[in-house]
Amino acid sequence: MSDNMHTRALQLVAKDRVEGLAQSENDWLAKHLQECESCNEHARQTDRALRALHSAAVSLPADLASRTQFRVRLRAMELREREPKRRMLWLACGLSWVFGIASAPYVWRLFEWFGERTGAPKLVWEIGFGLWWTIPALFAVIVMLLENAQHSGEPEWMKPGR
Amino acid sequence: MPAVTFSTLMQYEAKSIARGLQRRDPDLLDRLIEQYQYRLFRYLTYITGDKARAEDFFQETWIRVLERGHQYDGKSKFEAWLFAIARHLVIDWQRSKKAQSLDALTDPTQESPLQVPNEDEPSPLHQVLAQENAENVHSSLKKIPAIYREVLVLRFQEELQIEEMAGVLSIPVSTVKSRLYRGLDALRGALQAGAA
Repeated sequence: MSDNMHTRALQLVAKDRVEGLAQSENDWLAKHLQECESCNEHARQTDRALRALHSAAVSLPADLASRTQFRVRLRAMELREREPKRRMLWLACGLSWVFGIASAPYVWRLFEWFGERTGAPKLVWEIGFGLWWTIPALFAVIVMLLENAQHSGEPEWMKPGR
Repeated sequence: MPAVTFSTLMQYEAKSIARGLQRRDPDLLDRLIEQYQYRLFRYLTYITGDKARAEDFFQETWIRVLERGHQYDGKSKFEAWLFAIARHLVIDWQRSKKAQSLDALTDPTQESPLQVPNEDEPSPLHQVLAQENAENVHSSLKKIPAIYREVLVLRFQEELQIEEMAGVLSIPVSTVKSRLYRGLDALRGALQAGAA
């Protein structure tokens, strides 16, 4: 028997366990394993290893499920309480954007007029106009950062890898 | 056709889970935690190599399931999505610790040996044999690089399909297969060395 046949047999033993074999491959392997004791032993070792892996048990910590369920319910309550506030925030942001767009031509003229009155360079009052537009977004970012800061202050036991 | 019926049932179950997660249904979450506790904890124990850490990640995974439940569309198996969340948490934590690979999570000095569950009250001899097997498998798995350990656990313990594993691990199917072949080889070698 050539080395190539043994190599092929070992490859097929692995393939059978990983992704399965075509009928022709299966027939060839079965025939080879009947004739070759060393490849047959290799197949048995592979099966033993997989059986051992499959049957290896891990003991569950006491009350793991109930402790997790409790934590999840607490978090769900927290999220439910936060939801209306978040909705209000988005609504306020949306309204302020709509108002911002509607009032843009007037605000532009106001900034222009103010620039002329004070003698400020055009670039300065244009930047001022741009900043006026970012106010709602800045407000939303500040609120979210405050919320995240509160969330990161949760007890140590609630964080992974303590 | 029984296979079609089973597959339809699985799809229906996945869709029903997806709808429940959208609503953040607390009863559904309780049921899922009960149902998947063993498989998720075992997966986390093998990929972190530490039961205490696995417990933390277990709880954190379910918090993420609650928070990001709306992202599960019910098109794939729920467990594949669950394992992907757990895996990302472990990787994020590992990155925050500036480790190089999943192997870095294993600290042999902090490890407690895996034990046999006593739900069915097996005989003392069976307990000893099973514990020896679990310890042998666990110590053998620790000798295998984490990327191979992970695919072996997903394929031969969790019995995920190769395509599902590719989704969980975010790698191509061909890479999953090559890792499985190498992992299988490494596991056989490690178990033989452990038995010798």
